[in-house]
Amino acid sequence: MAPLLQAVSVGKTYPGGTVANDGVNLSVMAGEVHAVVGENGAGKSTLMKILFGMEQPDRGELLLDGKPVRFANPREAIDSGIGMVFQHFSLVPSFSVYENIVLGSEPKAGIKFDRAKAIAAVRELSERFRLNVDPLPPVGQLPVGQQQRVEILKALYRDARILILDEPTAVLAPQEVAELFVAVRSLVEQGRTVIFIAHKLPEVLEISDRITVMRAGRTVGEVMAKDVTEQSLATLMVGREVALRVDRAKREGELVCEVKALKIVGENGATLAQDLNLKVHGGEILGLVGVEGNGQAELLEAVAGLRPIADGVAYLNAESLGRMSVLQRRAKGLASIPEDRIAQGLATGASVAENLVATKLADPRFVRHGLLDLKAIKAHAEKLIEQFSIRVGGPKFAVGTLSGGNMQKVVVARELAEQPKLLLVNQPTRGVDLGATQFIWRSITDARDGGAAVLLSSADLSELLALSDRLVVFYRGRIVAAFINSEELSAETLGTYMLGLAQQEPETMRAALR
Amino acid sequence: MIELLLTVFSATFFVTVIRTTTPLLFATLGGLISDLSGALNVALEGIMLIAALTAVIVSAYAPWYVAVLAAMAAGALLGSLMAFFHLRLKADIILVGFAVNILASGGTVFALSMATGGDKGTSINLVSKAVPGVDLSFLKAIPAIGPTLSQLLSGHSILSWLGALTVFLIWYFLYRTPYGLWLCGVGEYPAAPEAAGIAVGKVRAWSLIASGALVGIGGAQLAMFNYIGFTRDMTAGRGFIALGAVLLGARHPVGAMLAALLFGVFEALSIVMPNLFNWIPSEMIQTIPFVVTILALVLFSYRAQRARQLKTLSKP
Repeated sequence: MAPLLQAVSVGKTYPGGTVANDGVNLSVMAGEVHAVVGENGAGKSTLMKILFGMEQPDRGELLLDGKPVRFANPREAIDSGIGMVFQHFSLVPSFSVYENIVLGSEPKAGIKFDRAKAIAAVRELSERFRLNVDPLPPVGQLPVGQQQRVEILKALYRDARILILDEPTAVLAPQEVAELFVAVRSLVEQGRTVIFIAHKLPEVLEISDRITVMRAGRTVGEVMAKDVTEQSLATLMVGREVALRVDRAKREGELVCEVKALKIVGENGATLAQDLNLKVHGGEILGLVGVEGNGQAELLEAVAGLRPIADGVAYLNAESLGRMSVLQRRAKGLASIPEDRIAQGLATGASVAENLVATKLADPRFVRHGLLDLKAIKAHAEKLIEQFSIRVGGPKFAVGTLSGGNMQKVVVARELAEQPKLLLVNQPTRGVDLGATQFIWRSITDARDGGAAVLLSSADLSELLALSDRLVVFYRGRIVAAFINSEELSAETLGTYMLGLAQQEPETMRAALR
Repeated sequence: MIELLLTVFSATFFVTVIRTTTPLLFATLGGLISDLSGALNVALEGIMLIAALTAVIVSAYAPWYVAVLAAMAAGALLGSLMAFFHLRLKADIILVGFAVNILASGGTVFALSMATGGDKGTSINLVSKAVPGVDLSFLKAIPAIGPTLSQLLSGHSILSWLGALTVFLIWYFLYRTPYGLWLCGVGEYPAAPEAAGIAVGKVRAWSLIASGALVGIGGAQLAMFNYIGFTRDMTAGRGFIALGAVLLGARHPVGAMLAALLFGVFEALSIVMPNLFNWIPSEMIQTIPFVVTILALVLFSYRAQRARQLKTLSKP
C-alpha cells in the first residue's frame, strides 16, 4: 500500500542558521494513528508546520497520494484535506462553538451567514465522530478538553482526511485523555488518518499504530508501536539510556514553611483559593496537583509575594511572610521558578549574564556603590553556564535566542545558584526536552538534599509522581486530598480527585498533610 | 431654568441634536469598525479634519455629492496609508494614528492657505457648497401630528439619514454576514482566523479603510452642513469624543449610535446655553461635551468592572 502522506528528506534552515530539519522522512499510511515523538527541539514542530503549509521546506518534497505537493499557506493545506490542532488553541473565546468551527468557511444564504445550517452541520459532525459538544455556548466558558474537541471538529468540518494533533494531551487530565483517545479511535475507524505529536511515551504507545522518532532534526527510526517498550523508545529519542526516576528524600528536616487558613482573592473579587493548610519540611518536595486554574499557581504566587494574601498566614521559618516584599522574602531564603519563563522568569532581551544577577542587585559582590561590577557579573555567569551546562555562545548572548530548555536552565541556575530554604517551582519542564528535564529534576532534588523545602506544581502528573515526597490535590481552590507518594499511587487516582469525582476521608488527608 | 427646559424640549433643539450628532456618529462608527478589527484608529480626529477641508475645496469646484465622495475618498486613502504603515511596515497603530493627527492639524492649515491664496484661518474666500437638507414638509398634510412631525423630521442633512442607514448596515454586516464574524474574530483573537485561513492583515486593512471613509463622511457633514466652510481645527476634539463613544457604546453599532447621540445632546446644549445664561462664560459651557465624555467613560468603566465582579461571583 502506498503511503497517504510522505515527507522525503525534508530540510529546513531558519534565517538565524538554526537547522530545524535535516533529512526528515515520514510516511503515513491511510487510516492509521501515526505518532511522531522526539525531544523538544528535535524538529517535530517544524516538520508539522511544513506539512500544514506554515513553513516552506528548503530541501526535499512532500507527497500526498503519491503526488508531489507544496503548500504556500495553511489554506492550501486545509484545501488538500490536512487539518491541524495546535497545542495552543486557535479559538475566539467570545464566539460560540459553532461560530468557531465554521469560521472562514461559513455556510451562506446570499451574503447572509446561515447560522441554522452551521449549527445543524456542527451537530451532525459531533454525532458522527462521537465528539460530544454543545454548539451554542461561547468557547471561552468550556473546559480545555471540550475546547480541544471544538478544534478537532473545526478540522473535520473542513473535511480533513489527515488530522495533525500537536501535543494534544499536554493540557488534559487523565480522564480527558481517555476520552480523546476514544474520539481518535472513532476517527480512524471512519477512515481518517491521525498524526499524533507527543513526548509522553506511555500515551504514544497506547494510541498509535506506528511511531516515527526524531532527534536533532533528523528521523532516527520508524517502529511499530507493538514492537517497542517505553524504555527502548526513550533510548531511541535521546540516543542514550535515560533514567526517568529520581531518588526520594533520604531524610526529613525541620518545618520550613507553613500555610494556615490561607485565602486568595483575585483582582475582580472572586475567591481563587481558600482554607489552604499545609506544611513543608526541609528536605522534602511537596507536589501540588490539580488541573490548571484550581489554585495551585495562585498559592505559589501568594507565597512568592506576587499576589496579596486575603486572609490567613504563610510562614517561612516561623516568620509571617504577609507584609514582606518580594526582595525581603528572597533575602530570607526563598527562591522561585515561575510558571512562564518568558513572561515572568526572564527578560528575554537582556543577556544571560544580566538575567543571572537580576535578583542579586543588592549583593555587594555584583553592585558596588550603585555601580554594576561587570567583571564579577561576567565571571558569575560563566561559572553558572558551566555548572548548569547551559548551551549558549557566552554570557553576553540575549536570553531570547536560547532554546526553551536552555532558557529554563538560566532560570534554574539563577534561583539555585545559592542553596534556598524554600523553593517554589511551577511547571519546571514545560516545553523542555528530555535531556534538560533530567538536568532540571536533578537540580531540584539537589536543592532538596541541601535542605530546601520544595513546593512543586506541574501539569505533568508523571513529573509530580516522579519528584514529590508528598502530594496535595487542589480542586476549585481547596485542598481536597493529600497523599504520601508511593509506587501504588497512580495518575488515575490523582485524576479522580483533580476532577472532583472522589472525596478523601478527612483523617486520611490529615495524616498525609502532617 | 425653565427657559432651558423649554429650549431642550423644542423641535429646534432636536434638529440641532441631529445636526451635532451626525459627524460624531460617522466618526464613532469608523472608530467601532477599526476597534473591532483590533487596530484602533486613533486618527479619527485628523482624518475628519482633512476630509472636512477636502470637502470644502472640492465643493468649490464640483457638485456637493462629488465633494462628499471626495471627503470619503480622502478618509479611505488616509485609512489605507495607516494600514500600510501599521500592517506592512509594522509600525504601532497608536503612533501611526497620532502621526496622522499631527499631519492633519498642520497640513490642513498649509493646504488651506494654498487653496485660498494665503488665508490661514478660514475658507471664507472660497465659495463652498452645502449638503442639501431633506425636505419632508409634505408631512404637514397628516392630520394632528403632521406639523410637529414635519418640524422634527424635515430639513435634516441627507447625510444624517445616511448615518441612520449606516448604523443598520453595519449592524447587518457585523452580525448577519460571515465577514462580520471574520472582523470580530480578527480583533479578538487573530490566531484563530489565521489558522482558519483568513488573511488577518487584509481584514484589518479593509477595516481601517472603511473606518477612514466613514469618518470622512463625518468631516463632510461638519464642513458642508453644520458649518459651511472650513475653519482651522474645526473638528475640535470630535474625533476623540468619538473614541470615547466607541467604548461607551459597548462596541456595538446601536450602542455607538446612542453614545454619539448622548454626546450630540451635550454639544447641542453647549450651543444653545450661551444665549440663555449669558452670565456663564461661554468657554465654560463649551467644555461641557468634553467633561461629559470623561464622566461617561469613568462611569462606564466602573459599571463594567462591577458587572465583571458580579459575573465571577455568581459563577458556581
